[in-house]
Amino acid sequence: MSVREFNVIVAGVGGQGILFTTNVIARAALKLGLNFAQSEVHGLSQRYGSIRTELRIGSDVSSPLILEGTLDLLIALEPLEGLRQSPYISERTTVVMNNHVIPPVGAYLERFPIPSFDEILELMRSLNPKKIMVLNAYDIAKKAGDYIVANTVMLGAAQATGVLPFPEGVLREALEEVSPSRYRDLNLRAFDLGRESVSPPR
Amino acid sequence: MGDLLAPANTIEVLLGNEAVARGALEAGLNVAAAYPGTPSTEIGEALAKVAKRVGIYFEWSANEKVATEVAMGAAWSGLKALTMMKHVGFNVASDAIFTLAYAGVTGAMVIVSADDPHAHSSQNEQDNRHYSESVGLPMLEPSNPQEAKDFTKEAFELSSRYRIPVMVRTTTRISHQRGPVRLGEIKAGFSKGKFVPPEPDRYLQVGAIARKHHAELLGKLKEISLDVAPSYTKVEGASDAEFGVITSGVAYAHAKEALKLVNVDAKILKLGMTFPLPKKSIGEFLSSVNTALIVEELDPYLEMRVKVIAKDYAPEVEILGKLTGHMPRVGEYTMRTVLEGLSKALGVAPPVNFAEIDRRSSEILKKVPPRPPVLCPACPHRSTGYALRRAAGRAAFMGDIGCYALLFQKPFRVEHVTHAMGSSIGLANGIDVATDQDVVALIGDSTFFHAGIPALINAVHNKRKMTVVIMDNRITAMTGHQPHPGTEVNAVGDEAPAIDIEKIVRSIGVDYVKVVDPYDHAATEKAIREALKHDGVSVVITKRECALLTVAKLRRQGQKIVPYRVNPDKCTYCRVCINTFACPAFVDTGSLVEIDPTVCFGCGACVPVCPYGAFEPQEGSLNWREQKIGV
Repeated sequence: MSVREFNVIVAGVGGQGILFTTNVIARAALKLGLNFAQSEVHGLSQRYGSIRTELRIGSDVSSPLILEGTLDLLIALEPLEGLRQSPYISERTTVVMNNHVIPPVGAYLERFPIPSFDEILELMRSLNPKKIMVLNAYDIAKKAGDYIVANTVMLGAAQATGVLPFPEGVLREALEEVSPSRYRDLNLRAFDLGRESVSPPR
Repeated sequence: MGDLLAPANTIEVLLGNEAVARGALEAGLNVAAAYPGTPSTEIGEALAKVAKRVGIYFEWSANEKVATEVAMGAAWSGLKALTMMKHVGFNVASDAIFTLAYAGVTGAMVIVSADDPHAHSSQNEQDNRHYSESVGLPMLEPSNPQEAKDFTKEAFELSSRYRIPVMVRTTTRISHQRGPVRLGEIKAGFSKGKFVPPEPDRYLQVGAIARKHHAELLGKLKEISLDVAPSYTKVEGASDAEFGVITSGVAYAHAKEALKLVNVDAKILKLGMTFPLPKKSIGEFLSSVNTALIVEELDPYLEMRVKVIAKDYAPEVEILGKLTGHMPRVGEYTMRTVLEGLSKALGVAPPVNFAEIDRRSSEILKKVPPRPPVLCPACPHRSTGYALRRAAGRAAFMGDIGCYALLFQKPFRVEHVTHAMGSSIGLANGIDVATDQDVVALIGDSTFFHAGIPALINAVHNKRKMTVVIMDNRITAMTGHQPHPGTEVNAVGDEAPAIDIEKIVRSIGVDYVKVVDPYDHAATEKAIREALKHDGVSVVITKRECALLTVAKLRRQGQKIVPYRVNPDKCTYCRVCINTFACPAFVDTGSLVEIDPTVCFGCGACVPVCPYGAFEPQEGSLNWREQKIGV
């Protein structure tokens, strides 16, 4: 199969499983023999701060960093962090967004107003992305067995958008391969629930 | 995630750092030693994980200089040795490395310097290409994970051939880039070597001997510049183009795509060896173009050297870069940086309307609250910071390198300084000499072993009055939990003698020493108050393991993490918790404080913070302090 360029950002708060989520997509790309480059964050900057990983898939890709305005898929594990990617979002972007806002504690100390989820969604819409899908990933994850797999729920939802350049099934197989054994079943359950529970496109 | 030991001729997903490790294994690595530091850490982590299976020796050393000397010892005994460090770690090791270049090796040795343009996880944006030239060691610079593996392997071959160590320089976007890597055969293993100096004066650098070896080194470098450096150059693009780009490392990856986007006839000279430079290859490239743009991160290292080469080969060619204001010198390069520079150099409009993107997104970003990294929920440093604020609020606080550097933030603000490894205690010496202020040095366990001990000895011997708080979280936490000399296991998971920090401190002659659990806020505060009153050097050790370790252990034991809750009948919305303790699990609803159950680790450290006792356990919640979990 051939893909020229497909750009993904997984954004959230350090500790939400951002890297794992991106690794699963990268593994799917590897299984299909696609070229890709993934940039990730390690070290101090990952401690409960804004985190994003960038994954670029395709034969035209050499830089590991995404150019502003050229994002194809945004997986926002936390909605404020999704909004923070606004320079990358354009008409070609599909947004999959968790609706659970985690307020940065520093904002309280600086008296920085924290937008509600509805305000965040409105701002996201103003960027005119191709599609926005919203889900309550934590509730779905709890149904799967543990809120810690909210990231995998989001991955299932991303698959359900149909924008990923992978044939059906490959991402789930990649998840199965990358999951540590004691989380494998939980992850797969979460993935399936996420895939089934995407709210209808606006 | 990648399988470091995947079979030859397969393609595996590897992080740039894992690719370096794999390259070393394919080269026949015997011994590796390092001190963790972002962005270099995962090289060591990868090797630690497979060391026993492939039969190599790996250690996390006390600091980068010791690590370098361990590797040197192996390379002087005929073995193949590797050491790796972050850019500022090289400063620590450099005393050994400068002279090592004269001495050379009998086996092979590779030194990896992982630089951090943008200072993502560092205190500066130091450009270690300068080191390569001033030390006199050849430097290879990969531009993606595949090259990270290949160049590392080849660096060992070059080191064996020329009998000098070879440097591999990566940057954050190479170290932390994951990509497909085609693998070769692993040859690593361990057998004893023999320390036999090849000549009687080989390792005795002084005076005339040093001068002789210096001349010899310069000879080798000249040979390498003629025989090796050209094979690491690659020319791409339209051969008749009059516009050229000279680049290396990850900047090459950006430039290659950016050139496609501007859609102008151009060619690229990619340099894989940035010291010594392939003078003739660069000269010939320059003679073939009218204009050359130098695309490199940080200092105008290539730009200045290319200008010198141009004098001999193509004095008419226009050379653009940082010195001409076309490319920035601060921060890392992105696709945008390179596109903008390129467009400016070509005198065309950028193919992307950045002004429009900025206009649209800046309105939105104004409404998104910043989220800098903060101490994790349950972090013992939060409790130490809380106690310090209450007990020593007016002191001059000398911080150090570790997660606890985040205590500079509100509401704690008990770090006035973050400088270099071990500097907290050294600086406290100086501030105490110079002022009448109370001085507190804050240092972590791993940093104390790395560079804190000499400064503490200095303080006692010179009769300083200062308080040192050693925040012992039982691991090197910031870089992702590597063992250090104070842990009961070593890098490869074997039991190891744990060096006792309290005993070290007492043996130095510190006569006020207190060890406390930082979750016991009252005891911690009391110890700090007493320490500040003590006439001399006082040490408070706040000892509790990194919360991420505790949570991981609890989860492994199948223990459910049950968050705490706020009793809405007791919460008066006084916000004391947010204003003094600031756990990231706290949520201000506008009328109450709540705990976000997806963030809370259920430690219970917040319980004593609320004057109204509103933080309560739920069914199944633990109390780490009372149940002695994590201590």
